[in-house]
Amino acid sequence: MDIFKRLGWFFKKEKKSYLIGVAGLLIVAILQLIPPRIIGIVVDEIETETLTQQSLLQWLIILTSTAIIQYLLRYMWRVRIWGNAAKLEQIVRRQLYNHFTNMDNVFFQKYRAGDLMAHATNDLRGLRMVAGGGILTMADAISVGLTTLIAMMFIVDLRLTLIAVIPLPFLALTSRLLGRRLHLRFKDAQAAFSQLNDKVQESIQGIKVIKTFGQEKEDVDEFIHQTDNVVQKNKSVYKIDSLFDPAITFIMGISYFLTILVGGLLITDNEISIGDFITFISYIGMLVWPMFAIGRLFNIIERGSASYDRIENLLREDTAINERQGAFEEPVSGTLRFDIESFSYPDDEMVALHHVKFNIDQGQTLGIVGKTGAGKTTIMKLLLREYDTYKGSIHYGGYDIKDYTLDALLKRVGYVPQDNYLFSNTIRENIRFADPTVPQEVVEAAAKLADIHQDILDLPEGYDTKVGERGVSLSGGQKQRISIARAILINPELMILDDSLSAVDAKTEEIILSGLKAIRQNQTTIIAAHRISSVMHAEEIVVIKEGTIVERGRHHDLLEQGGWYKEMYEQQQLERKLEGEDY
Amino acid sequence: MEQKELSVRRSIPFKEQMVVLKRIMKFGKPYRKQFALAILFSLALAISTAALPRIIQLFIDNHLTTGDVTLQIILMFAGLHFGVTLIRLTVWYFELYIFNMASERTVRNIRNQLFEKLHKLGMRFFDQTSTGWIITRVTNDTEAMKDFWHVFLAIMQGVFGVVISLGAMFLLDVTVTLWILMFAPLLLVIVRIYQVYSSKTYNDMKSKMSLLNTKLAETINGISIIQQFRQEKRLQKEFEETNQSYFDSRFSMIKINALLLSPVINLLYTLSIVVILAIFGTESLAGPVEIGIIYAFTSYANNFFKPLTQLMDSMSLFQEGIVSSSRILIVMDNEEYAPAQLDNKDAHIVDGKIEFKNVSFSYDGKNNVLKNISFTVNPGETIALVGHTGSGKSSVINVLMRFYDFQEGEVFIDGKSIKEFPMRELRRRTGLVLQDSFLFYGTIKDNIRLLNDSITDREIIEAARFVQADKFIEELPGQYDARVVERGASFSSGQKQLISFASTIVRDPKILILDEATANIDTETEALIQEGLERMRKGRTTVAIAHRLSTIRDADQILVLDDGHIVERGSHDELIERGGQYKDMYELQNLGIQSK
Repeated sequence: MDIFKRLGWFFKKEKKSYLIGVAGLLIVAILQLIPPRIIGIVVDEIETETLTQQSLLQWLIILTSTAIIQYLLRYMWRVRIWGNAAKLEQIVRRQLYNHFTNMDNVFFQKYRAGDLMAHATNDLRGLRMVAGGGILTMADAISVGLTTLIAMMFIVDLRLTLIAVIPLPFLALTSRLLGRRLHLRFKDAQAAFSQLNDKVQESIQGIKVIKTFGQEKEDVDEFIHQTDNVVQKNKSVYKIDSLFDPAITFIMGISYFLTILVGGLLITDNEISIGDFITFISYIGMLVWPMFAIGRLFNIIERGSASYDRIENLLREDTAINERQGAFEEPVSGTLRFDIESFSYPDDEMVALHHVKFNIDQGQTLGIVGKTGAGKTTIMKLLLREYDTYKGSIHYGGYDIKDYTLDALLKRVGYVPQDNYLFSNTIRENIRFADPTVPQEVVEAAAKLADIHQDILDLPEGYDTKVGERGVSLSGGQKQRISIARAILINPELMILDDSLSAVDAKTEEIILSGLKAIRQNQTTIIAAHRISSVMHAEEIVVIKEGTIVERGRHHDLLEQGGWYKEMYEQQQLERKLEGEDY
Repeated sequence: MEQKELSVRRSIPFKEQMVVLKRIMKFGKPYRKQFALAILFSLALAISTAALPRIIQLFIDNHLTTGDVTLQIILMFAGLHFGVTLIRLTVWYFELYIFNMASERTVRNIRNQLFEKLHKLGMRFFDQTSTGWIITRVTNDTEAMKDFWHVFLAIMQGVFGVVISLGAMFLLDVTVTLWILMFAPLLLVIVRIYQVYSSKTYNDMKSKMSLLNTKLAETINGISIIQQFRQEKRLQKEFEETNQSYFDSRFSMIKINALLLSPVINLLYTLSIVVILAIFGTESLAGPVEIGIIYAFTSYANNFFKPLTQLMDSMSLFQEGIVSSSRILIVMDNEEYAPAQLDNKDAHIVDGKIEFKNVSFSYDGKNNVLKNISFTVNPGETIALVGHTGSGKSSVINVLMRFYDFQEGEVFIDGKSIKEFPMRELRRRTGLVLQDSFLFYGTIKDNIRLLNDSITDREIIEAARFVQADKFIEELPGQYDARVVERGASFSSGQKQLISFASTIVRDPKILILDEATANIDTETEALIQEGLERMRKGRTTVAIAHRLSTIRDADQILVLDDGHIVERGSHDELIERGGQYKDMYELQNLGIQSK
């Protein structure tokens, strides 16, 4: 019941709507009592031969109007209550989505994408059930149950009622008990199903291994073992599940037995009429649902409550990246001063970066080279304020980057990441991701600079070609160049290419880099790369190894130093020669 | 595959639906006795349900109204009513249980057949189809079949309920029954209207739901891009638009349900009571009427109308079931089988001599990736394949492993065509060590044994010792019983390699095919791996794809592939002397090694 209190904010918000809905429900509950009663009265009037054409017509009119009013009210409360439930789902989904977009890296490492998706779908459904089915069941069970009971007692007969309802509490009890059992067994069945799921996933992912070892038959045998297990677990579910309706029928059967017995006796004693008896039997049938529903209500509430717990936990998570009060809104510009004493990722003991220090004046280019995992991307992440928990400082234009608003900093940075994530949208929308209002010419200009324009025109629908899961598959190099165009589009003060030319050939790389250089005379660029040719024209180049700078200088300085840089350069020169024969 | 799926998502014409239905129902054939039994019980349920009002009617008309009542008679009727109730709940239980189990077993049948079918398909299918797509077919689409089957139960119960209660009414009073039957066309109209509107709205709602989920998933996956470009606000707005349109669509679904589902059925039911009372009331003005019959009729009217709500409710499930079924059938109908073998039972691989004779091979039937390849490897010798990415090295393995069928030429093993060997013999006698070692969920032991139960623990330990995987395994908690989780995420790629060496060597293959790992391997394990490779090669015919040329210097023969052709062949020394592509590659790598 606690869940109703916790969702109080919503019920309060939709108070009027719920009140109308519940009122409708209550009136329907009362109106429901009329038809059985009229049947009883008409039967009695026939029996006693007091029925006249006029009285019959009167009863029929009442019955018809009751039916129509019931219909209208039923329609109304359903729309209100289920509509509110859908609204709650919508609101919480929005909260979750907005929350997700504001969370930092730590959050997304803690919760896997699949889990977050599950919360946003299954748990929202659980919540919707509480606000819809839960409220409905509670209000309906109470109003129908009570009004019917009262009608049985006062319209028909108090004694008969008291005897006939003796078995009914067992109904609620049974449905609760069976529900609990079922829940446990259902969990087992779910576990068996997810095991099956894992098995399929492994077999498909490892299909080559299975084929290699010629283990197809054994794999099928193991799969059959799993499907047998699923059947077995579901068997125990069905054993209970199939018991629900029969168990209710049993208890109701006792109630009917008592009604016929006591009702028969009361009729012979002329205490009640046959019409009363017929009315009463109908009323008993109407009590089944409320009793049954109360048992079910517990399940809905339990599940909804657990769902809301999980959702609230997510919403309670905080981001570590915050804007300082009174942060500068002026866009960043000027010299970038990076001075990190040490940094480790949260929950990781390893030092990811230490003693990394460099300055880049406005309009200059910094090159960062080093092996995979040396710490190049970490530098970018700190620049982009993905993590704030480092020792040291990063200054832009003389002020700490933490003193700027996120807009002031990030909107001026054009970042091209290693993994080129494109959205399931058209190429045009992907390029103008940062600003969907810019005209085609601007998009094309950016695409031309990234040397992807011609590739796009060659696609079946040009800039309107859809990419991503459902669209065309682009090569790694094409994706990289679209990502570059996406960053170029905002004309960034600081452009960061994070190993984002790895999949394009040397000639294209040269075109892109020289194009960028030409238009970015007064803007700053950082290029991290594996390929030396990407960085060799930079004003400064740093070599990162195990989280710190081991060599630095201009291209020719580094060649003279004769360290890792020089070896890499020579090796790559030779590779190029070899590749050259291939082209 | 994607496109096929999309076309399925669009509405399926009725005729095709019936074809799909007929085919998918065949999977239930082994359980037809159980289904028949469930139908029988369902019929018994409907009859016993109809008997109950009849008992009360007789009680009223024969005894209560005539005054012929004794305690004994009352007890008898109460007992009779209760007795029939007992029968009713018993047949109900068995109906539900037997039907559920039969449909559960049918689902199992579909799953097993689907899975067996998958294993018959060739690598082409798996290379072209996304893993997620296949998994969804085997798990979720088959799971949806249970709801689908349930629709039939609902239909069955509904039809029996309606027919039996109509029959019972006919027995009581033909005129009134005919009047009630007048509601039937009205009902059909409502069902039709509901079907038209609900299926449209339902599909709309479903597609918006999936759009919502797509957006959500994209946002989670692309969160860093969104945050970098500060597009949170815009995407929140866009998401809210979809969220709102989903709400709108759900809201219209609620309205349609409220307008046409149980409220309207209830309305019709009450109106039918108006008709019943009107007729019997008018009759009673002319002469006596048995009032118990009035009661019985109101009950039967209830039985007549009630099942319809459930029936209409399950219509959307029917649609979904058809969609899932047709997706399952797409896989069942796939004919990209693994290459067929002649299965000559006498064909055994004894020596391991391999011979390629003018083999040409293409993946798509148009562009050959192997062009007229010929070479021979004598038993116990090692041949190495080198060349750039796309030169055709991996295709040689695909041909030799029979992952794909080749188009021209012939491949011989021990002088017999490779097509003669039963697949099992071929695979068991050839050990392929893959580039990325894939570990399964389970223990180290399971991963070395790989489902082959004839391999003893002792053999496993010996194999591990042979490839020197024993040292790190014995340091693990639980040693050979240590758990492998999440595809072996806790092991280094070198360790994973060693485990896969062990699982290859424990089978003692005659032919060894090595697809050398390109991944960075930690230096400590590197030495073990090199030694392991050397030990494994001893006494076995080996085909090795090498990236690090230093590892194949002692190969008996080296083939340099370029664009599907063999451009150079010979021993290491010969090739170096020749000063071609091999020499360049070799020098380049030496440089790399020095710089380490």
